[in-house]
Amino acid sequence: MSMELTLSRPTTRRKVKVLVAKIGLDGHDRGAKVIARALRDAGFEVVYTGLRQTVDQVVAAAIQEDVDIIGVNQHEGSHVYIARKLLEKLREYGADDIPVVMGGSIPVVDLDVLKNIGVREVFLPGTPINEIVDKLLRIAEERRSRREV
Amino acid sequence: MKEWFGAKKPRSLWLRFHVQTAGCSLYPQQPWLNIVRTALEALAAVLGGCQSLHTNAFDEPFRVPSEFAAKIALRTQQIIAYETGVADVIDPLAGSYFVEWLTDEMEERAWRYIERIESLGGMLEAVKKGYPQREVEEAAYRFQREVEEGRRFIVGVNIFKEEDVEEVRRVPLLEFNQEEVERRQKERVRKVRSMRDEARWRRALDELRGAAERGDNIMPYVLNAVKAYATIGEIMGVLKDVYGTYVEPPYY
Repeated sequence: MSMELTLSRPTTRRKVKVLVAKIGLDGHDRGAKVIARALRDAGFEVVYTGLRQTVDQVVAAAIQEDVDIIGVNQHEGSHVYIARKLLEKLREYGADDIPVVMGGSIPVVDLDVLKNIGVREVFLPGTPINEIVDKLLRIAEERRSRREV
Repeated sequence: MKEWFGAKKPRSLWLRFHVQTAGCSLYPQQPWLNIVRTALEALAAVLGGCQSLHTNAFDEPFRVPSEFAAKIALRTQQIIAYETGVADVIDPLAGSYFVEWLTDEMEERAWRYIERIESLGGMLEAVKKGYPQREVEEAAYRFQREVEEGRRFIVGVNIFKEEDVEEVRRVPLLEFNQEEVERRQKERVRKVRSMRDEARWRRALDELRGAAERGDNIMPYVLNAVKAYATIGEIMGVLKDVYGTYVEPPYY
């Protein structure tokens, strides 16, 4: 068993793949694009959905692209509603092992609400990019090791 | 306008402009400070001679503004208009060495952009190639790096910071129930659909489609469709059918 495990581990690991998603009518993409760019520079593979996607489109893209993490950026105040719908849809498609993280104009007072729904990590405004990179690496790493076992 | 586009009417030569204070300059940290930022930006706009001005509300880094925040934004303009006296003079900063120099500098750099865009085949082509988008993103990324590396100061964000959970809690954010808003809007659309003149509505959309296919000016047809109570979704649907949907060029 242990030999198989060693053999199944690739020598060069696949890049961490993140889906950066904009859901709904919110057109503020400055933050999402800064993040996408920063993650790319940090060696991630980034898929950006573009503006005005539906929850269904995002779930389909995440499954199709086999991403390690879904990152949702919200700026108009509907983050709790969107998070609920997204996590529900992921469960429906049996893809709820893909961790969802969120960022954007999320007031600190909504932090616990989002975490309780099942959002893995919430990056509040002012979070340094390096911290986001580190946390995403850790989350992706955890998920991959869980999948390999 | 005269040399490039051959404009003849004096009206076409007017430079009339609208200014909106910068959304990206609003921060959720110590959110009240946004009122000050917006006031300074609005004053700069008026000193620069704008004819029309929009001031952002201080709570916009969180969501759509509350009435309270929107009113402060409006009152900010009214203070500039009625208390400061800057609106009594056409160009209050005329003759300022620094401002004149800055204007020349802006003009020169704007020309560089205009020439670059022309060399790409005009703005439409440039957008298709992702040039202006990349420039904006590049600037946003550079700005963010400068803030994070402490090369650019933002009060309350990377200097004079405070632990402000309680302060954010005190911001009276606009409360709305997403599901309720959705239900209400669906109900309104249903009502409009049931009371409109079906034949007139269909004709208006058909005529819009025809105009779009011919490449005519669609504006009169859009107006006609609106008057026939076509919804924005229906109008967009027709145009999407004819033109297709814009897909952002991917860069990552």
